[in-house]
Amino acid sequence: LANGVALRPEVGHANIAALQDAYAKMQAIASTDNRSWIYWAGYHGFPRYLCWHHGRIDQSQFPYDLFLPWHRAYLVYWDHVTRDQNNDAILPWWDWTSDPSHQLGIPSAYSSPQVNGGASNPLASGPRPDMPDNPAGRTQRVPGDPADLPTPSQVQGLMGLTDFVDFSGQLQDIHDSVHGWIGGDVGVIATAAFDPVFWAHHCMIDRLWYLWQLANGVNNIPLSYLDRTLAPFSYTVRDVLDISRLGYSYVVASASAAGTA
Amino acid sequence: MGTATANKFISTEIRLDALDRGFRRADIEFHGLDHSGASYEGRVYLNNPGADEKTGKSSESGYAGSYHIFGHGGCLGDEGHCEVRPRRLYDPRPAHPLSPARKVVIATAAVMRAMDQGKTATLTVVPVITSSTDKVTGNVLKFDEVVIVTYR
Repeated sequence: LANGVALRPEVGHANIAALQDAYAKMQAIASTDNRSWIYWAGYHGFPRYLCWHHGRIDQSQFPYDLFLPWHRAYLVYWDHVTRDQNNDAILPWWDWTSDPSHQLGIPSAYSSPQVNGGASNPLASGPRPDMPDNPAGRTQRVPGDPADLPTPSQVQGLMGLTDFVDFSGQLQDIHDSVHGWIGGDVGVIATAAFDPVFWAHHCMIDRLWYLWQLANGVNNIPLSYLDRTLAPFSYTVRDVLDISRLGYSYVVASASAAGTA
Repeated sequence: MGTATANKFISTEIRLDALDRGFRRADIEFHGLDHSGASYEGRVYLNNPGADEKTGKSSESGYAGSYHIFGHGGCLGDEGHCEVRPRRLYDPRPAHPLSPARKVVIATAAVMRAMDQGKTATLTVVPVITSSTDKVTGNVLKFDEVVIVTYR
């Protein structure tokens, strides 16, 4: 945190102990409690299916796609629900284009089965609710070959696009490919958000949109999108364009010391 | 162009001589894509109707690029849950989450190569399933139309 603003770090520089603490607490809370892991993860796919992927047509036959703004709003809410359990648990981003990712795949913070002391790692899987023909359990992954993750040149090509709809569609496709690469519960919409790595993946997606906005303008989005609501969150698209108004920023790492007060 | 219901799609001949040769970008657009089932990579080939999952991604194989579908993983609701119906005029809810998707494969070099090869081309889509559930079938590839567009 810097003056109340959450500095979202790269996974390798995150406060993993705080994140483990917060996620373990959320995962232990009863699923019917509105502070729980299952309650909030259930907004994305099963059972509420409120997420936005791909374009839809409104009543006036206008196509629009709220993929990026909807997930930005979801991350803001998730960030606060997480920090309610541990205020130092700041969402990190997983750079799947990095050399370590192309060698090892999912970062060890999210793949090691146990934490120091031998307890189960709450970042390696999350609780999934009872579903039709699929009893409640922990999420599972079936990751692909690390070499198949998106490359820096793919992201570079993405950043060269100047139209929001074009950029959003191509970024969404890379996003889709990473979901498929992780596989298992993360590989389908119904169960993806129950897995902790979902949030680090989406933080990377949101960061890429932020970096694109730096180059192409915060307000670079079709005007007709601006007043659309991002249900169930209390934001419109306009509200989430400038992340400085949402109380977070993206960094690689940060270090701080107390002042004189 | 029709709807593919099997695991692989081969188009009829597409007239490339209808395209502008002076383009700086060429896209292959898929309209009306179903995303209710498994997640998959749709590998797109030009002039290689024999392409399959084992075919590489080299330009020599006609590989033009891929699109990726993050599928819903099948229906987990009661009967009618995944039925896409248009909203009523004053219904404030967004359209159904399973409204068909549009995907764009930027395929500038591949389209240019195909134009150099001839006046027409076939387009093949090979779906490679990346994630699935017990609620879906293997026939993931369903769409309404594929269009090649060029831009200057």
